[in-house]
Amino acid sequence: MGWYNKRLAKSLWVFHVSGSPCNNCDIEILDLITPAFDVERFGLKLVGSIRHADVLLVTGIFNQKIAPRIKKIYEQAPKPIFVVAVGTCMSGDCCFKDSYNKVKKREDIIPIDLYIPGCPPKPEAMIAGVVKLIGVLNG
Amino acid sequence: MDKDEKFFKAMGDKISSRIDKKRRFYFNVKNEDLREVVDYLFKTMGCRLSTATGIEMYHGLEILYHFSDDDTGTYFCPRVVIKDKEHPKVKSIVPIVKGAEWIERELFDFWGIEFEDHPRMERLLALHHPQNLKEPMRFGRDS
Amino acid sequence: MIANSIPIGPFHPLLEEAEYFELKVDGETVVDIDMEIGWMHRGHEFISEMKTFTQSIYLVERICGICSTSHPIACVHAIEDIDNIEIPIRAKYIRTLVGELERIHSHLLWLGLAGHFIGYDTLWMWVWRYREPVLQMFEIISGNRNHYGMMRIGGVAKDVDPASIPDLAKIFDMLGKKMAMLAGAVKDDPVLRSRLKGVGVLSYDDAVAYCATGPTSRASGVRGDVRKDESTDAYGLVEFDEIVLPNGDVYDKLVLRVLEVIESVKICRQCLEKLKEIKGPILNDVKEISPGEGIGRYEAPRGEVFHYIRSDGSNRPIRHKVRAPSFVNIPTYTASCKGIPVADVLITLASIDPCYCCTERSLKVVNKENDPCLIDLLKISREKTERIRREINGSK
Ligand code: SF4
Repeated sequence: MGWYNKRLAKSLWVFHVSGSPCNNCDIEILDLITPAFDVERFGLKLVGSIRHADVLLVTGIFNQKIAPRIKKIYEQAPKPIFVVAVGTCMSGDCCFKDSYNKVKKREDIIPIDLYIPGCPPKPEAMIAGVVKLIGVLNG
Repeated sequence: MDKDEKFFKAMGDKISSRIDKKRRFYFNVKNEDLREVVDYLFKTMGCRLSTATGIEMYHGLEILYHFSDDDTGTYFCPRVVIKDKEHPKVKSIVPIVKGAEWIERELFDFWGIEFEDHPRMERLLALHHPQNLKEPMRFGRDS
Repeated sequence: MIANSIPIGPFHPLLEEAEYFELKVDGETVVDIDMEIGWMHRGHEFISEMKTFTQSIYLVERICGICSTSHPIACVHAIEDIDNIEIPIRAKYIRTLVGELERIHSHLLWLGLAGHFIGYDTLWMWVWRYREPVLQMFEIISGNRNHYGMMRIGGVAKDVDPASIPDLAKIFDMLGKKMAMLAGAVKDDPVLRSRLKGVGVLSYDDAVAYCATGPTSRASGVRGDVRKDESTDAYGLVEFDEIVLPNGDVYDKLVLRVLEVIESVKICRQCLEKLKEIKGPILNDVKEISPGEGIGRYEAPRGEVFHYIRSDGSNRPIRHKVRAPSFVNIPTYTASCKGIPVADVLITLASIDPCYCCTERSLKVVNKENDPCLIDLLKISREKTERIRREINGSK
């Protein structure tokens, strides 16, 4: 895989899904591609379909209604796909740990490769996370 | 005469247990009179329905409608108390206020309150829920 | 008439309440629309009833990332309404300043996305660049770009540092100028005008019947602005206009938002001036909440946020009801989407600003001969803009 990963790291295409977040993480992700932060200089690009993506950015706590759909999206993705979890919602439960409508364990639904904590993480933190991912891919 | 005085005069004894606060009026109405009160508030006074709140109390379920008079910033809150917790039933106000459709569906979803004459009495948030919930959202679920 | 249906979603990222739409179409025209929500339900009301009053303020902040100070303001209003708690005058101005800054950033965000949907990516990048200084201002004032944690019962949590006021004023000067330029550009642009005029009209009667709030109803000629009606916080003490436009189409909503941003900049400037003069405490100590019920509301960027809190004298609410503005605005699609071509659906759905919209979505349109073809909503929308642009340029 090393050979393939190195090619992949040059231009990661990102698809972004939201599984019941508060929406702020998603806004910050969009902020990344606007002139102030401009992640396209790392070759990252937000794409409109999971079929084109190499990285899946997920946010939110996954409520019970949306969980099967997220699983479906993950299954539709061409492998290898790297799942990056953005926000405290994904890594801990943030303030929703007592919610009656969330799934018990998000890792059962999709495997997660990288966590970026913060509520919401600063764009700089997200860039740092993604750069780490690129570093790992480069070996 | 102020709008609120006129309203309370017109409704007369349909209203009980009235609580007055600064720019807020809370009062009880019976299920039979609900439509008439709502009709007066919405059509005659031109109030806007903000939302309706369901509350579970010891003596039963309460529905509190919130009507906002946008000219004076006053809230009129008719309260309907339902004693029967097992099969709560209330008259729907959708024929008068179109915007109440989702609000009532949400109440049905959370508290299981059924609204008579509602055009589409279905769950709102838990429609097509993967677990096929039988109970209302707020009851009988472990967190 | 054979009506075919087009499913959109549920990963149509109208993010606050990710939804599932089903459009019934006859050829190119939409005849009916059905919506399903619940993909984002996290049970805030239930969690809040397990937390103390102070904790629930930070919880409601996480309802929505864009209105992340409107909900706390409405929530503290509701709690203060139970006991008629007064807040210090300096705190009033700080609350208003933060609230208005949020309106600026939210409206700019919408403007950018609206540009994106109709194929004006330049507008998107341009506007979001001016949004960045607003977030910097938030960082100066509260220490965080989003989720500010500024509100407390009886006042605000953090003071505005007097040393930072000149910096803030400078950014406002810049914003004021850019916004005037933007307003001019939006009003003069022939493509925007012919693309959006008369699209997705929500009539006055429908806006009243569906109890719509905020820019959605104000663009249809219905007056109603919580800031004017209640004059809570410093809104009674500053000067601003309530903007009402008559037509109810997407173009009016766009213009209304640009004008509101200009008003907000005006309010913020006045607040800064006052903050220079007024000294004093920013927080009244509140020991106890007595039994009773309270209603709090605030004009969020999208409309009226409504919180109802009932207390039984303990330190947590026994009922906390939250109603976000999109909840009453979204059913208006039933009225505004009927009879418009599919190419206009996307911008109409986006026009009420249902928190934040859309990346691309592939969907299936079955045409008259019943052979399925894949069409992309965003692409259709952009193609229409392109067509109009060509027509306008050609006629010159
Ligand atoms: S981590 Fe925080 S900002 Fe991100 S979705 Fe969760 S609550 Fe919102």
